[in-house]
Amino acid sequence: MTYVAFQMLIGDRAKYIGLLFAVAFSTFLLQNQTSIFSNLMKRAGNQIRDVTDADVWVMAPKTEYFDQTKALQESDLQKVRGVSGVDYAVRIFKGLPIAKTRKGQFAACSVLGLDDATLLGAPRNMILGNWQDLWKPNCIVLDKAGYLLLFPGEELKLGQELELNDQRVKVVGISDALPAFTTFPLIHARYTEALTFQGRQRQQLSFVLVRPTVGTSPDELATRIAEQTGLMALTTSQFQRASVVYYLKNTGIPVNFGITVVVSIIVGLVVTGQTFYLFILENLKQFGALKAIGVTNGSMLGMVLFQSSLVWFVGVSIGTALSATFFNISSLVIQLRHFIFFWESAVGVAAFMLLIIALASSAGLMRVIRLQPAEVFRS
Amino acid sequence: MKIKGLILPTVAGICLVYAAVSIAQSHPQRVLTDPPKAPPRTSFAHTIAAVGLIEPSSESIHIGSHRIGVVTKVNVIAGDKVAKDQVLFRLDTRDLSAQRKTALAKIAQATAESRTTAVLLDQARRRLKSANSLTDPRALATEERDDRASECARLEAQLATSQATIALAQAELETVETEITRSTVTSPIDGTVLQVRVREGEFIEGGSSNDPRLIVGTIDPLHLRADIDEFEIARLKPGAKAIASPRGDAERKYELQFVRYEPLVIPKKSLTGDSTERVDTRVLQAIFRLKNPDDRLFIGQQMDVFIESHPRKSDS
Repeated sequence: MTYVAFQMLIGDRAKYIGLLFAVAFSTFLLQNQTSIFSNLMKRAGNQIRDVTDADVWVMAPKTEYFDQTKALQESDLQKVRGVSGVDYAVRIFKGLPIAKTRKGQFAACSVLGLDDATLLGAPRNMILGNWQDLWKPNCIVLDKAGYLLLFPGEELKLGQELELNDQRVKVVGISDALPAFTTFPLIHARYTEALTFQGRQRQQLSFVLVRPTVGTSPDELATRIAEQTGLMALTTSQFQRASVVYYLKNTGIPVNFGITVVVSIIVGLVVTGQTFYLFILENLKQFGALKAIGVTNGSMLGMVLFQSSLVWFVGVSIGTALSATFFNISSLVIQLRHFIFFWESAVGVAAFMLLIIALASSAGLMRVIRLQPAEVFRS
Repeated sequence: MKIKGLILPTVAGICLVYAAVSIAQSHPQRVLTDPPKAPPRTSFAHTIAAVGLIEPSSESIHIGSHRIGVVTKVNVIAGDKVAKDQVLFRLDTRDLSAQRKTALAKIAQATAESRTTAVLLDQARRRLKSANSLTDPRALATEERDDRASECARLEAQLATSQATIALAQAELETVETEITRSTVTSPIDGTVLQVRVREGEFIEGGSSNDPRLIVGTIDPLHLRADIDEFEIARLKPGAKAIASPRGDAERKYELQFVRYEPLVIPKKSLTGDSTERVDTRVLQAIFRLKNPDDRLFIGQQMDVFIESHPRKSDS
């Protein structure tokens, strides 16, 4: 019976290919859109994720997301250090000064000021140069996209100079830092120097970064720090999520992508469902004939299930491979760097396609089961 | 036909494997790392963290000058060990030397005058005596004898004046000599010269020592002044253990011995150095002695301090 079902499926090649195309392209479209959307939103928390030396972020109460901070007092660092369960606590500064090149190109940059004593938060993924050179005076590490933005048309090389708040700094490294949601170039510098890029402010400590002692979980410690210091403390993943949620709430991006995704779902549903339903309808004669020779409804069910799962498997596999290829290629484009194909999106869409095909085939199946064998011979 | 039909499912299988491998390979791994240099860590279960400055156990003595003037000689360089009362620097005293000469001349003059008066007084006394010794009152006019007596009295008074003038001149001399002594600045303690910011030929103003010209202190033992946030005061434990590590070298830990608290809670010292900075918190200063300092610690160095404390009420 399986063989018959298979032959029935591939017998009409045009329909077969059409069916596969519908499934494959729906899969590709959905996976592509959901993954790009997730990647884009994930960028809101990328700078948080990129600091791998700590698990808990302490910030001013009511902070909503990474890019908007209110400075803490210097003494808050000591307060956090006094909380039990803290292995270490180190300060970090985040600023948004304007960097200017010799040729006059300028851009607002997202600067991370790393504690002078420890360099906690140093960019570990380097394309050129060493982050260790940050120990030297007036040296910074710039990310690759920022470099291309500030020095358009120039090849990647070290030793380029930037002017930040009337100070000359040298680029001693080009990093592959995870891109931020805002497209600002990312600069890593030392804390005391980063402060001078920004101009004087009364308080300058942006975050305290904490790692818990062995045996204390980040969540537990974050709760404890918040309780005991009155500051806001979030684990890396909580803070990432909060930043993503902020952008989800406050930008039109989710609506925009949401519409695309909904449309893709509808198109996928209609095209795939309808094609498959039509396929069954058109084969109704064959099913009728089979019924007439005494094939049971159970076997019919098996046949339709086999056909639908084969279509699903082939279509989804090809679609997923298309998506994977898309992301393999797009990761080479600087604007789309670090965009990945989420396995959640791959699996989720595959499951969703299965649901659509199941719906379509069950609709067709109803016709098959209700079919009187005699009907085949009527017309 | 059968094989032909199987091509697409096979291709699909390959596609699936390819997609799975691609996803697995591109999936970012977030590996936790350790900071490039170890950050300061406490050694205690419950701790109060503070920032401390290394200072001399005598505290920094900003040497002042009694007088204003130009420096003629600096006797020490930074790092010198000095004994109590050892000369640190001298100011120009030429004006005082001149005053001293005047004072000496005044003394000489007054002495000479008093000697003249003494001779005259002697003579007058003799004349009065001879007048008084006359047995016949008619031998000399009464008026003449009275005149001799007055002359005697006048000269006695004049002698007293001269002596007072001598005393005054001597006092003046002493004043000048004291000023000369005060032009030499000496060390108030046995200690070490920590900073010399005075050079020969420079002018020294008296008064405020915000801009100290010369700093002296006792560097054995070394002390550490730790600023404890006022919110943490409740958790302080008397005689608690404490450790400190220098900035940028947290692996090196120094044990501290509690010495005393400053009785006064003061505003936190400004860190940005901005003169318009407002105070946001107050700190209690605790003084510790460094138990075994080595030659890699310097006065004025900042240290991260951890003090053993009572647990917080919310700590279970």
